[in-house]
Amino acid sequence: MRIWQGAQLAEERSEAVEHTASRRAVLSGASLVAAGIIVGGVGAPAIGSGSRLGDAEILNFALEMEELQAALYEQALQHAGLTGELAQYARVVGGHERAHVAFLRQTLGSRAKPAPAFDFGDAVTDPDRFAGAARVLEDLGVAALDGQAASLTKPSLAAVATIVSVEARHAAWIRDLLGEPPAPTAANPAEGAARVMAAIRRTGYVKGSA
Amino acid sequence: MSDDLEHLDRDGALAEALGPLGPVTRRRVLRTLAAAGLIGAAGLAAAGAADAAAEPQGDVAILNYALTLEYLQSAFYNEVERIGSLTGETARLARIVGGHERAHVRMLLDVLGHRAVAKPTFDFHGATDSQNAFVRTAVAFEDLGVAAYKGQAPRLASPTYLEAALAIHATEARHAAWIRHIAGVLPAQSAFDQPASATHVVSVVGSTHFIVGRTQAAGMPGFTG
Repeated sequence: MRIWQGAQLAEERSEAVEHTASRRAVLSGASLVAAGIIVGGVGAPAIGSGSRLGDAEILNFALEMEELQAALYEQALQHAGLTGELAQYARVVGGHERAHVAFLRQTLGSRAKPAPAFDFGDAVTDPDRFAGAARVLEDLGVAALDGQAASLTKPSLAAVATIVSVEARHAAWIRDLLGEPPAPTAANPAEGAARVMAAIRRTGYVKGSA
Repeated sequence: MSDDLEHLDRDGALAEALGPLGPVTRRRVLRTLAAAGLIGAAGLAAAGAADAAAEPQGDVAILNYALTLEYLQSAFYNEVERIGSLTGETARLARIVGGHERAHVRMLLDVLGHRAVAKPTFDFHGATDSQNAFVRTAVAFEDLGVAAYKGQAPRLASPTYLEAALAIHATEARHAAWIRHIAGVLPAQSAFDQPASATHVVSVVGSTHFIVGRTQAAGMPGFTG
């Protein structure tokens, strides 16, 4: 048991190192902004041109994740005929995501990017597909925010930290509803921006700028 | 910041699970916690005059504070598993979450090496004796753990330690949601999880009287899990 746990931890650590390395590679250039163009279709120039991303870019990245999640819940509540605890989940969590969007928009002020257009396909018409999509986006949200935390200034980090654990709670809740392990690992993995962007692209949910 | 006991211990879980305990003066509780590494000597001295200034200073102190909380959590899950008072989904949670808490202890011991504080001794005063008492206490512990890590993460200087702390922070939040679901309360109560200062966490843990002393080992070099 102990050996297994040790091995699991070692594996998670090497994964974390890999993520850190990929994030640093991303952060060393304008890749996130480039990826942002692909995902959001918004060609807004980077704010600040140093070798690290500033808070505004990272908070805009977080904003897009929150917009994506908020839209999923809003549309699923309208069209998926959700019932029982899954409907409760969508109502409660959808409310949280809207609050996160509002908070990030307020924080960013005029620097906030417009929301892209989304197309969730049957993830907002079929309850099972919705639950699967929510699980993917919530796990991804936690990993994406944690992946940027070390690059944020301390005040922004403190603000984002109030959101990230709520996303982790959402992820655990939807996993529990799906019969999956709510907390699959001892150390929740972080993801670099490039991997997050690639994962979002794979969903096909983001169609372009509003 | 709604940094108060009512906010963190929303369901009165700690208070109710612990029930009426023998009267222990605040001073004695603080001395025990200081001995257990949960607060520093400076914090103890300050706490004599005021309840402030118990915040750990520097990464090693912060990680030792985290380690003590993880010792507390892992001892709690270890004991409930040993006693065998749980069934079904709750037993499954205790097994998995307990494994995570032990892994967190090992992660922090690895990082701290010879600078690690010793594991305190614990008395859970019946909180591990029944499923109901366990669930209520676990809800309070996990919510408190999330708030405690959130309170310290921005205070860490090392990006490496920050990444480790955040990886644990998110896992504690998943634990909190899971046990809350089992308890029949909302897994995610509000859109924003507030941080808790060490001063606050120490006072909550102190009120439980779960930490009763310190083992004789001075530091834990060579501890392998």
